[in-house]
Amino acid sequence: MPAVFARDVCKSFRTLFKSKEVLHEVSLSIERGEVFGILGPNGAGKTTIMSIFSTLIRPDCGTLEILGRDALKEAHAIRERINISSGNPNFPWSLTVQENLKHSAMLYGLYGENLKRSVEGSIEAFELELHRDSRFETLSTGLKQRVSLAKSILNRPQILFLDEPTSGLDPEMAMKTRSLVKKIYEEQDITVVLTTHYMPEAEELCDRIAFLREGKMVALGTPGELKSQLKLGEKMRIDYRGEVEIERLRRIPGVMEVKISPGGLEVIFDNSGNVVNKIIKAFEKAEIVDISIDQPDLEDVFLELVR
Amino acid sequence: MNWRGEFNKFFSATYKNWIISKRNVFTVFELVFWPFIGLLSIGLLTRFLEVGEDMVAFVLVGAIALSILQITQIDVAYILLFDLWSKSIKHTFVAPIRSYHLVVGSLLFGMIRGTAVFFILVIPSAHIFGFDFLAGGLITVVVFLVGIFMTAASIGMVVCISILLFGQRADVAAWTLSGIMMLVSGIYYPVEILPWPLQILARSMPLTYFLEYYRSAFGYGSHDVLTGIGLAAFYFVLGLLILNMAIRRARTTGMMLRLSE
Repeated sequence: MPAVFARDVCKSFRTLFKSKEVLHEVSLSIERGEVFGILGPNGAGKTTIMSIFSTLIRPDCGTLEILGRDALKEAHAIRERINISSGNPNFPWSLTVQENLKHSAMLYGLYGENLKRSVEGSIEAFELELHRDSRFETLSTGLKQRVSLAKSILNRPQILFLDEPTSGLDPEMAMKTRSLVKKIYEEQDITVVLTTHYMPEAEELCDRIAFLREGKMVALGTPGELKSQLKLGEKMRIDYRGEVEIERLRRIPGVMEVKISPGGLEVIFDNSGNVVNKIIKAFEKAEIVDISIDQPDLEDVFLELVR
Repeated sequence: MNWRGEFNKFFSATYKNWIISKRNVFTVFELVFWPFIGLLSIGLLTRFLEVGEDMVAFVLVGAIALSILQITQIDVAYILLFDLWSKSIKHTFVAPIRSYHLVVGSLLFGMIRGTAVFFILVIPSAHIFGFDFLAGGLITVVVFLVGIFMTAASIGMVVCISILLFGQRADVAAWTLSGIMMLVSGIYYPVEILPWPLQILARSMPLTYFLEYYRSAFGYGSHDVLTGIGLAAFYFVLGLLILNMAIRRARTTGMMLRLSE
């Protein structure tokens, strides 16, 4: 039984005079224990799909099962077993970190020693000990994000939804947050579904990734599968002095694109054959000053998909 | 079902309202200043108009009822208002919580504050205007207060329903609905002086009956408090049902998401 099973899920937001479709027939299956990433540009529908999966809002059509339960008919039972942390986190301002966590734990029906242990465990897991008595309104963005993450593990969820968990954080804090997410994932053996704008983050954390564009799912697979599906070539950057026949380069089988840049060239190629040697041979009348080869990353996948 | 867990779901709203109120210095204004000013103004007006003791009792009962109603209904409305202002609605509604947990939990805190307002006003009323609110007996006071609390819960739920249906701009309902109740329930006058369409409306409001009940204990008119109790219970259950429907609708229209952003 998958953690999340969605078939043809769609959602439109209506105002008095118009209707805007924000999700169009999205189908996917997320296995238990998987870290699954949902990527896409602004307005792709990432937050909407997370809100639907976490039962905050209801889909207009399609089938949605969370942990084997119908998300429309058994939403309450699902809510007992999942939790969410959102980017741009907000909690009642005048409650302290500990009070906010205690209040959230009460919402999940925790009580007595279990409640105390959960709150303390979350504070410890996200290193909030020094800030437990600070009011939420006085916290930095990074600390607020950590409070949100701490809240999201209070009920020991089977699925954790993380909506842009490192949004607005500086690189150091983002790295720390990623390692905390990894730690929770490894220690608690849960399914994690996350959205992010940050491609290295998705590459680092996710087993599989779905790309959304304008409410439609345009790609699904492991980071490696996505790169090969899209036939994204490797990128060779060559700085040189002298003459090079650009047309000869372009005719080499496997060369996908040649871009002229100041002081050199960028050659995008499929490295399935002996292409590198052939490219270098094309520079026989020139003097190569510097050469580097970059593998395609998710950033390239993202750019290709949103193009 | 785990009963201790269920109780904590109820108390989650009580706990949040308590912490937010105790941190807010302006709570003193809500709880002491405005009710006292209201009672004093109305009481002094009766002196200026040189009305008899029964009339003083009549209007002071109205003044105290209005203060308790306002404070309790805003506490029920706070279940959404605090989350709305801090943009944290999402966290409440992804939790396994039901509307009755939120309403009853916040009503409990509203009842504590409403009772506090009652006793805060009893003292100046007796000392300044010579009117003893407790003279009607403990049962009369309890029935009167419970009637106001039930009415306040229904008004608070209407505020929440309005926000869920129409968005944040509807939060103004939190301060206007008790004003409408003041007009139609006979806070400062008998409902018989209202034009007949408003009299029909007044007779559909439980507060009208609870005011008449309490005033009758001081020798003013008769009462039909059982109708008031029936109406209050009916509106309370109806309010919960409609609130449930409004939550479901907000999840369908996406309002729940918009209120979190």
